[in-house]
Amino acid sequence: MLIKYKLGILLLMIAFASGQVLAADQGKAAAKPQAAEKKAVAEDPRAAAANKIILAADAARKKAGSVGGEWRDTGKMLKKAKAAVKSGAYDKAIKLAEKAGRQGELGYTQATSQQKLQLPSYVTVLYVNK
Amino acid sequence: MKKLLLLLSVLVMVMGFSLAVHASPEEDRLVFRKFYEKRFPNVATEDFINGAYSIDKAGRENWEAIEEFPPYEPFMERGREMWEKPFANGKGYKECFPDGPGVAHKYPHWDKKQQMVMTLPLAINQCREANGEKALKYKKGSINDILSYMAFESRGQITNVVVPKNDSSALDAYEQGKKFYYTRRGQLNFSCAHCHLQNAGMNLRAEMLGPALGHTTHWPTYRSKWGTVGTLHRRFTGCNKQVRAKPFKAQGEEYRNLEYFLTYMSNGLPLNGPGARK
Repeated sequence: MLIKYKLGILLLMIAFASGQVLAADQGKAAAKPQAAEKKAVAEDPRAAAANKIILAADAARKKAGSVGGEWRDTGKMLKKAKAAVKSGAYDKAIKLAEKAGRQGELGYTQATSQQKLQLPSYVTVLYVNK
Repeated sequence: MKKLLLLLSVLVMVMGFSLAVHASPEEDRLVFRKFYEKRFPNVATEDFINGAYSIDKAGRENWEAIEEFPPYEPFMERGREMWEKPFANGKGYKECFPDGPGVAHKYPHWDKKQQMVMTLPLAINQCREANGEKALKYKKGSINDILSYMAFESRGQITNVVVPKNDSSALDAYEQGKKFYYTRRGQLNFSCAHCHLQNAGMNLRAEMLGPALGHTTHWPTYRSKWGTVGTLHRRFTGCNKQVRAKPFKAQGEEYRNLEYFLTYMSNGLPLNGPGARK
């Protein structure tokens, strides 16, 4: 009776240990693709290029914002570009970031080109003909 | 002779531009008013307080039907309760606004002490914070209740914004607001003036662009699009987004200065808030 009891405990311990090992293996297996993905992102030259363009575009967005000239969708485009890099869609990320960068530049130019008040002619004419 | 005429034309244009730049707030207001009186000669000046409904007959009929059961009434009721209910410290709005709730015509004004444009929503929150209460959000939520009540109590008061002559900072704030109004923004490269001066009375899809004269008299406003009452700065935010510009912070300096300029343009017009719009 005691032997049966001890055998039972032994079997349970073996089953538990093997379960732990299996779970650990599964965990490692799940972690492997993530690490591999990160490695691929780090190694893919397009990822580095995309990140560089995103950084430049973000700087252009901030520059436009500093003069009150940021456009509505620039920040959203950059968020999408960052997400695209994470998912490995580098071409999409580059395209979005380039567009965002262009918006930043145009927003800055738009704001700085109007540093002085410019009244439209249909208004100025009324000042003259008061 | 031709050359002389050309030279004269250029001179007149240049002089006109420089006059416009150096015009006083009162000169600006007269020109603003003149523009709309010329554009809509059949509209009585006081009727501009009704926005697009002063020039859109079909829209006006719908609006008048809506006004029979004003959608902003529940907001006003809640606002009245807010006005009556003391804060946790026993004081209330009555202490901050001793002249009563009907004081919307005193805003915006130049606050010499704080050296900034003071708007009614900002004054409400300063009152709350001074009494240990949490500030309300500036675009949505219960600030619209108290504003609706105060606007209703202010009906009939006359818009009378003052830019003090002895304080250059006040004039600077006014000029900043004016510049904001005429500055092109966003991907669509539109200024406020493009829609509400140049194209007032034209249609954007099914909506008629309202004249800017009287734009500030009826806030806060229940907009069917919002399904609730919202503040003037919420509307500014929406306008900026529509031209694909990143909006500024509600009650930030940019929008307060804009409100200062825009309300000055409506000096002399009666308040008729809260309003109802599509």
